[in-house]
Amino acid sequence: MLCLLVAQPEKVGDMNLMVIKRILEARCTPLIVTVNKPYKVLTKIYAKEGISPESYYVIDAVTQYSGGACPQTPRVKYVNNPANLTDLGIAITEVIKQMPQGKKCIIFDSVSMLLIHIPSATASKFLHFVVNKLQLSDISGIFLSVEKGLDPVVMSQMSAFVDHIMDYDQAQKSPCLL
Amino acid sequence: MPEKIQGLTDRATIESSGNIFRTVFERIQTAILIVDPAAHQIVDANPLMESLTGLSKDQMLGKGCQGFVCPAKCGECPVTDLHKNILNIEREIINAKGERVPVLKTVAKADIGGKEYLVESYVDITEHRKAEERQAALIAYLSESILRAKKPLELMQEEFHEIARRAKSGDYDPEDVRMELELHAKNLGQIVKNLEELQAKALEGKTTEIPPEFREFLIRK
Repeated sequence: MLCLLVAQPEKVGDMNLMVIKRILEARCTPLIVTVNKPYKVLTKIYAKEGISPESYYVIDAVTQYSGGACPQTPRVKYVNNPANLTDLGIAITEVIKQMPQGKKCIIFDSVSMLLIHIPSATASKFLHFVVNKLQLSDISGIFLSVEKGLDPVVMSQMSAFVDHIMDYDQAQKSPCLL
Repeated sequence: MPEKIQGLTDRATIESSGNIFRTVFERIQTAILIVDPAAHQIVDANPLMESLTGLSKDQMLGKGCQGFVCPAKCGECPVTDLHKNILNIEREIINAKGERVPVLKTVAKADIGGKEYLVESYVDITEHRKAEERQAALIAYLSESILRAKKPLELMQEEFHEIARRAKSGDYDPEDVRMELELHAKNLGQIVKNLEELQAKALEGKTTEIPPEFREFLIRK
């Protein structure tokens, strides 16, 4: 299942938490690709919600970019810059291989923040690449974005390759997020 | 007035009015073709039609209108077979260089010397199309600027509120706060750079370089 979830800017953080909780409830292993928050901050936010760092994998494209330390841990992979799509693609492939057998789901947080670093047209091509990879590996994908934060072409292309586009309220009620 | 003199006056009037209409036909700032509807052949063309197509009048005379100024197949003429009204319809004609020229086409039936002809007039709308493209490109760049600046700024505004809350809660160490502030400072720098790049592209006239699907979407809207 591939979903594009959109929310008001003030709800994007809550949406991330709701999604990871739903993924874990479904006994699925999440991989968070973050271009929004450093891994260290993300783990503290999740820990506050009772989510153990042993239950998820992370690809962090912002810690090194913001001059933070990147301690090597088995469940996190760092990419030096959110605009480095080649390394981001390689990291996704590697972490997917490293994840245990069973249901897996990627959370991409967020498409809107990615647009700071690359133009819409490039973002669209990259997301298409990610979606193809997920479909070939039979992995679910949830892309987070700010409402009305995608250009009409990216939106129409995304709508062609995802199964659902939902806002935060719909996603909370929907039984078919995964 | 004696009958013979009256006849001479009428003919002179007709000839004189014929001359007037010929002059109008040749000077009018609309490209005109006269087409024989039975044979679908061009029987006359004015000088503006010559400059629009890049073909001389002699090259056009006797030429079939289908495949030249009309995309319809034989037996499907919109005027004579399908009885459609062609009034200011956007079409394209192919000029001598093989280029497609956007035009507004109007077809009217006219009785000339007791025989029906089609008077086809064409207004070149190339400049109008270019203006539309420029407008679409401008909207595209404005949209891209908003997407790459306004939305991320809204997200960052929320993040700053969050950082402030987290800093106050004491759950986060100074390095966490520093990292997030540094990240957003860099993001702000990148947004400024994006806006400068977009502005530079617009000033360099590269605003026409937008994806065709985006242009179509904007024009459709």
